[in-house]
Amino acid sequence: MSYSVEAWDPSYGSTFAAEDEDGLSGSKAELEPDIEIPAAEWRAIGPRKGQNHPPTVLFVDGVRRVDARIWIRSAELDDEAALGLCASYASGVVVCRHDSRGNSAGIGGSDVRRGLFTTALEAREIPAPAGNYRAHVTDADPATPLPALLSALLQQRLSELEISVAVAARDQLEPSQQDEDLLVIDGPLRGRQHLPRTIGYIKTHHSRYLPSELNQLVSKLEPGYRTPVFRMGTNWERYSWYLRLPYREGAPWAGIVRVECSADLTAADAVELAYLSQSVLVRYASDEIKDPRAPQNLYPIAGLERELRRRLGNPQLLHRSLRTRRG
Amino acid sequence: MSDTVGLVVGTEDSTPLKFAVAVAPDAYLQLDDVVVTQRVIPGVGPVMTSGIVTEVRSRHEGASFGSDVFLIADGVLPAQVQEIAEVTTTRVDPEVYVPPRPGEAARRAAGEERARALYFDKMEKKVPVGTGRDGEPVYLNLEFLNGVRGAHVSISGISGVATKTSFALWLMHSIFRSGVLGGGGRNSKALVFSVKGEDLLFLDKTNVRLDEELRADYGVLGLPAAPFESVGFFAPPTPQDPTGRPHVSGRTSGVHAFWWTLAEFCAEGLLPYVFADVEDERNQYTMVVHNVATKLKYEAVPAGLDGAVTIEGKTLRTYEQLVDFVVEQLGDDSTRGSWAGPAIGPGTANAFIRRLISSVRPLREILRGDLQKSDERVVSTEGQQITVVDLHQLQERAQRFVVGVVLASETRRKEAAGTGSLLFTMIDELNKYAPREGNSPIKDTLLDIAERGRSLGIILIGAQQTASEVERRIISNSSIKVVGRLDPAEAGRPEYGFLPPSQRQRATLIKPGTMFITQPEIPVPLAVEFPFPAWATRLSECLPHELGESPAKSPGAEKKPAANVFTRLPPTFDDDEPPF
Repeated sequence: MSYSVEAWDPSYGSTFAAEDEDGLSGSKAELEPDIEIPAAEWRAIGPRKGQNHPPTVLFVDGVRRVDARIWIRSAELDDEAALGLCASYASGVVVCRHDSRGNSAGIGGSDVRRGLFTTALEAREIPAPAGNYRAHVTDADPATPLPALLSALLQQRLSELEISVAVAARDQLEPSQQDEDLLVIDGPLRGRQHLPRTIGYIKTHHSRYLPSELNQLVSKLEPGYRTPVFRMGTNWERYSWYLRLPYREGAPWAGIVRVECSADLTAADAVELAYLSQSVLVRYASDEIKDPRAPQNLYPIAGLERELRRRLGNPQLLHRSLRTRRG
Repeated sequence: MSDTVGLVVGTEDSTPLKFAVAVAPDAYLQLDDVVVTQRVIPGVGPVMTSGIVTEVRSRHEGASFGSDVFLIADGVLPAQVQEIAEVTTTRVDPEVYVPPRPGEAARRAAGEERARALYFDKMEKKVPVGTGRDGEPVYLNLEFLNGVRGAHVSISGISGVATKTSFALWLMHSIFRSGVLGGGGRNSKALVFSVKGEDLLFLDKTNVRLDEELRADYGVLGLPAAPFESVGFFAPPTPQDPTGRPHVSGRTSGVHAFWWTLAEFCAEGLLPYVFADVEDERNQYTMVVHNVATKLKYEAVPAGLDGAVTIEGKTLRTYEQLVDFVVEQLGDDSTRGSWAGPAIGPGTANAFIRRLISSVRPLREILRGDLQKSDERVVSTEGQQITVVDLHQLQERAQRFVVGVVLASETRRKEAAGTGSLLFTMIDELNKYAPREGNSPIKDTLLDIAERGRSLGIILIGAQQTASEVERRIISNSSIKVVGRLDPAEAGRPEYGFLPPSQRQRATLIKPGTMFITQPEIPVPLAVEFPFPAWATRLSECLPHELGESPAKSPGAEKKPAANVFTRLPPTFDDDEPPF
């Protein structure tokens, strides 16, 4: 395989003018607000007294980084060179234990992968100092711009990695803990609904799911309070609720996170998870003097991301190795 | 053999002289541990870099704020504890000075590797000086003690907690009893000046606290746990006692009283040692001192057997009489010229007289012409291996006189005897006898020993609270430097530049019985613990049957429990120096 590496640092984007990568189309989700409380009686729900804190909470997150954009030359000289993303991605789990043996938090497992994402059929594995770039070839889709397509492919691989790491971390727990743990996934559940006792934790709000009369409640939530559980979705279905984390001051939606769980659960189970999330997530909320994304960026996830980014390796070394080893 | 304790880290520069080791989670490294790493160099083979841990750090990796520790303890923030040990290189073998590379395994050295790291394998004659933190023996190279390649020991530390005297005695015990001296050992002597109480008058008695554990400690070092065998004790005569009994209270037998007769004083010209103060040298009357000394030497005629002298027809039996006589001669205008020397004004003569009269009180007990002749009164190292001269009852001026006269005579004797054997001279409070500023006859003798003693076989073991106040040439001539607990201000002085910063800091808090020892061959001072003395250091530590009859009954020795709560304290004696 013959390729050349784009000289620009990938964070500046490509010299090839691409379409806006963030091609998220707002989904017109159907909404069922009457799961916990009838819509007419919607009110903020406070934390339940005596709510048990699970002995083990697992936080799953992944990080990705494009190390270089490369142009793969086709065997036939007249063909155009094809874009490829050389990316490192990693996923890990923080296991927070709170039991009779004391409190501890540690990285329960992590996995670092490197991949070459492209549409070029000639793509081959590229050797690198700590883990080779494995080729993942996809078909070109005329409807999606190429960089967005490759980025989505990378995200998909990362999601798969997150699931495998989370499952592996859960398997390592002692049997007694396995039934009482809670798995918190950073980001939407997206294809991970089948994991038991799992909630998705969404920090950034791209769309407004609630109708405006119900939405007003969100900005009025007190710290630690949440909205009632609602159900939403068209081609995908979730139970979801908004929760306000402790915060000092800020915009009307400061400290608001959306939590979701699988729609396969019963409504009662979803409400249980909602109460559980209230007691669990507040504990891990970060302080604004320590984290620029406080309070939503939870301490364990921030620590995990920092560690995972470190484990991705030095981008300059990887960039250098890609340039020196090209065919 | 050795076990791996960690890996050389890559986040800090690794140099051939200093590198850092990340300690594995299930291992530990403490200060003074000996660490070895190996690196294979093409064309050279394996290069071993060994060193001593001089600093260990531990920190949370993953924490960026001080308050993160609470989150980590609460199980909220993931973090890892990592310990990093800083290693100062002692030896690179073979001598290819390359840095240990990050990722290379570091082992705790033991056995052969430890001996190589600390150069013990290169020492032909090793003197055990104690155990390292790892419980293994630490040695000194005898060649730096006996004058072959170096000599002299300088011991510094705060009084009371630095155990300077104990260490000096322990060192002598080790030198004499480890068999390292070989054939010359039998003739090697030690001269000890004791200035602190009667601590050293029980060197030949077994300590009651000598138990199996202590015996084992001595056994590790290959030394017998026994008191000194051949010891002679000298103490000044009891004041106002016509029989000349030694002025000691704890020990009743085996102590000889020492004094100089007036005949000796005059014939040997000891008068300059009366003026051994630093300030004396700066004054005009030194001229008078030498003139009077010469006059005494030629005019004094021994009278009788007890050491009295007759000068110009007058018989003088006491030092007081001698001083009166000299004062009389100097005060008289007709005789002043012949006694003080020509062109000496009355002012200078009076200055001399003042100083001479003030010497009567301190010196009248040890300069006698009225005591019965005794062969045992002469301080000499000839009859025994260790000679202890007890000075603690004497005033400082008299202490100077004794040290000066004894050192000068022993140096003369040793010079005449040749270098076949060694004479170890232990002097406490060296800053008193060889201060940095000024001159005195004792300082001249000590400087002579420091600079020439190596070839004469006279080894100076000097102890002082502050090395910064001792004559620089004496300290710089000492091959072995030993440091006990130091005053923080003192530790910062350049005299302790041989201590790395971390050890300098540690020297301010090390406990009694631990010393830092530096010797020329090993670039890093070694922390050494030496065992508790096997000999008694006070009356209460003596076994009763070894003491024989003891008229000086201490209150603690009575069997009946007294109502006084102080009886629980160790017995004290009237003559004990107050601890301030």
